[in-house]
Amino acid sequence: MNRPEGNRTALDQKVLAWMGEGSWARDDERFGALALETFAYQLEHCLPYRRFCEARGASVDKVRDWRAIPAVPTGAFKEIALRSFAPECEVATFRTSGTSGVANARRGELHLDTLALYEASLLPSLRRHVLPDLGEGDRIRILVLTPAAEETPDSSLSHMFSCAVASFGTPDSGFFVERDELQVDAAWRALSEAGEPVALCGTAFSFVHLLEARPDSISLPAGSRIMETGGFKGRAREIPRDELYAWLEARLAVPRERIVNQYGMTELGSQFYDSVLAEPDAPRRKLGPPWVRVRLIDPTSDRDVEPGQPGVITVHDLANTGSVAAVTTADLGVRIEGVRIEPGEHGSEWGFEVLGREPGAEARGCSIAADLMLGG
Amino acid sequence: MTTRVDIEAAWARLAGAGDALAGRDRNQTLGSLAAVFDAWSDPQSTWQRRLVDELPGATGMNRENVRRGLAAGLAHWNGDALREVFEREVAGLGPRVRVTGFPTTSVLLAGSIPMPTLLSLALPLALHSPTLAKSASRDPVTAGLFRESVLAVDEALGAALEVLSFSSSDPVCSDAFLDADCVVATGSDETIAAVARRTRPGARLVRYGHRLSIGVVADAAMSDETLADAAQALALDVSLWDQLGCLSPVAVFYLGSGSEVFAERLSEALAAEDERAPRGELPTASAAVARAERDGAAMRHAAGSEVRVFGDPKLRFTVIHEADAALRPAPLHRFVRVHPVADRDALLAAIRPLSPHLAGVALAAGSGERPSLAHDLAGLGASRICEPGTLQAPPLGWHHDNQPIVLPLARVADLEAPR
Repeated sequence: MNRPEGNRTALDQKVLAWMGEGSWARDDERFGALALETFAYQLEHCLPYRRFCEARGASVDKVRDWRAIPAVPTGAFKEIALRSFAPECEVATFRTSGTSGVANARRGELHLDTLALYEASLLPSLRRHVLPDLGEGDRIRILVLTPAAEETPDSSLSHMFSCAVASFGTPDSGFFVERDELQVDAAWRALSEAGEPVALCGTAFSFVHLLEARPDSISLPAGSRIMETGGFKGRAREIPRDELYAWLEARLAVPRERIVNQYGMTELGSQFYDSVLAEPDAPRRKLGPPWVRVRLIDPTSDRDVEPGQPGVITVHDLANTGSVAAVTTADLGVRIEGVRIEPGEHGSEWGFEVLGREPGAEARGCSIAADLMLGG
Repeated sequence: MTTRVDIEAAWARLAGAGDALAGRDRNQTLGSLAAVFDAWSDPQSTWQRRLVDELPGATGMNRENVRRGLAAGLAHWNGDALREVFEREVAGLGPRVRVTGFPTTSVLLAGSIPMPTLLSLALPLALHSPTLAKSASRDPVTAGLFRESVLAVDEALGAALEVLSFSSSDPVCSDAFLDADCVVATGSDETIAAVARRTRPGARLVRYGHRLSIGVVADAAMSDETLADAAQALALDVSLWDQLGCLSPVAVFYLGSGSEVFAERLSEALAAEDERAPRGELPTASAAVARAERDGAAMRHAAGSEVRVFGDPKLRFTVIHEADAALRPAPLHRFVRVHPVADRDALLAAIRPLSPHLAGVALAAGSGERPSLAHDLAGLGASRICEPGTLQAPPLGWHHDNQPIVLPLARVADLEAPR
């Protein structure tokens, strides 16, 4: 396998070391230094990004704070191969799911020359937020309502779940989507027969599909948890998250305090999770690992919004050394404070809540929400 | 808060008001409504002035933008224009065709631009159909003001119009409101589909879907000066009502070789419009879309595409010169793309996907080319082809959604002579 060259290897080693430490303490100095180092590397090796930054007057000499590093919109990943490495070094490409019914819809792509950072980032986050009660060396049955990675090698979600099963799953863990079909009966049977707590994972739509296909209810063993992610992109039916959680509670007997939403996207190497299992006494909010920073931005000024105000979720992810680390999402979020405890202790971090993509779209007037029509 | 009981009480009052109109000469009613429109068309009238005072607070639009939009939009919406429409669509059918209104009409209003509201309420009244209207959430002002203006001229007619508001997500109120013989619904495809599900069997549903408009510039035989004028005029079309109307152009298709220069001129003209009447409030969600599209275009430029970004970094206005004619999202709020097209076939091919949603086309072309281009654009489904700078001032009788404007609200009967 081709390996990242020169200072990239050193950079990856520093980030990997952080990911492997198991500490969730915030370290601003370390993050800032690594972010600037990553920025310098990506300016040198990703030509479109360098030009984008130059047009904004952002250079290694001028940018002294990671907050000043220009972020690229997720839409750019649909149109430009944002690689900070030579194309021949590529080992994997993850693609967004696209939007059904939209002609010529482009799919976002994350190009990777190594899966090491991706996996090193996802595993501790998933463990902390979905399996915080799992003892060292213990395993849990993980039932996944998506295809396995072998079936959809370009799906970052399938890759993530396959890694999770390999690292934390018991041998009777499994995937219940085959050839793009949810195996309802097999999944339901596995859930019905569960004698020990399970971790049930899938997209929001897959849960709706499962519950709609089965008229009956079951009680999963106490201690089970659900991780849902993604949304209803391209699906005809969409239900609010509150309603979905009420449904899961009623039909599977998993209390909503044990239902974790994961917020992630193909363009990012790291993910965010609801804090409910990791910090059950604190408000539900999205938390990321310490090698990721989130800003909520006013899109007209590029400044941080005031707490309580909605802002564009902008992520700086050190797991993205091979592409671009600073990414502006298409989502709005609002800051949610954690529990006030002594600085440096876990649980003091603020998080955020995702507000969705287009609140108030109906209020635009009689001009059509043209992004729907024009294949955005 | 409006309840089902309130709505049923409104229907009961409207039934009484409808009885009072029964047998009345329609010309008398048309005369009253003509007087109402004459009053509204005057920029110094109470009604325009009150809208200028009240609409900015309700919609977030700039006051001067509202003033200019009303002055342009209502300048020719007078009593004569209303009479002409009825002459064309109703009287023109002859004495053996009877046109009547429905016993009841409910009008679901949408958007924040007043002119469609005025017409949606006036037309069923002109047919003596008692009308219950639900205000648009973004414009809680215009419908009530229009009712006041009708009452001021003709109390009996004004009593046949009631205006209320309630949440669209309230199924009980929605059902009570939509319990009419004729339902007029303006909104997104989803909104109209939801209304259709709740409309009583056999009722008439008149749909006004979301639409958009475009500009077309064909630079052959156009002087630099004419092109500069076209850029200024299109900037006005974009700026009025902050590009939120169905007649607001979201893109300009440029046939010729000077598209990038035109995009720059358009940006300069938008800057001048911003000086005269700044863009109103920009919701964070809309700003996010605009920012993403703007930065995305900058990234494409950085990757070697010929796309160029013009405009204000704080999103007061944006012009993207695209490298091709591929359609892209339209963030609105004074965000416009200029697409180069090589020839007429490429132009029509680029616009064709918009056909189901196309409202107006502001066409700037030399006199030799204009008629056939207009013909082709109408063939694609545009319901209005006009000069740049006039998009926001449609005639009162414009065939919105490619259909007559009175007859969809009426019952039409042919009274055949004995054979």
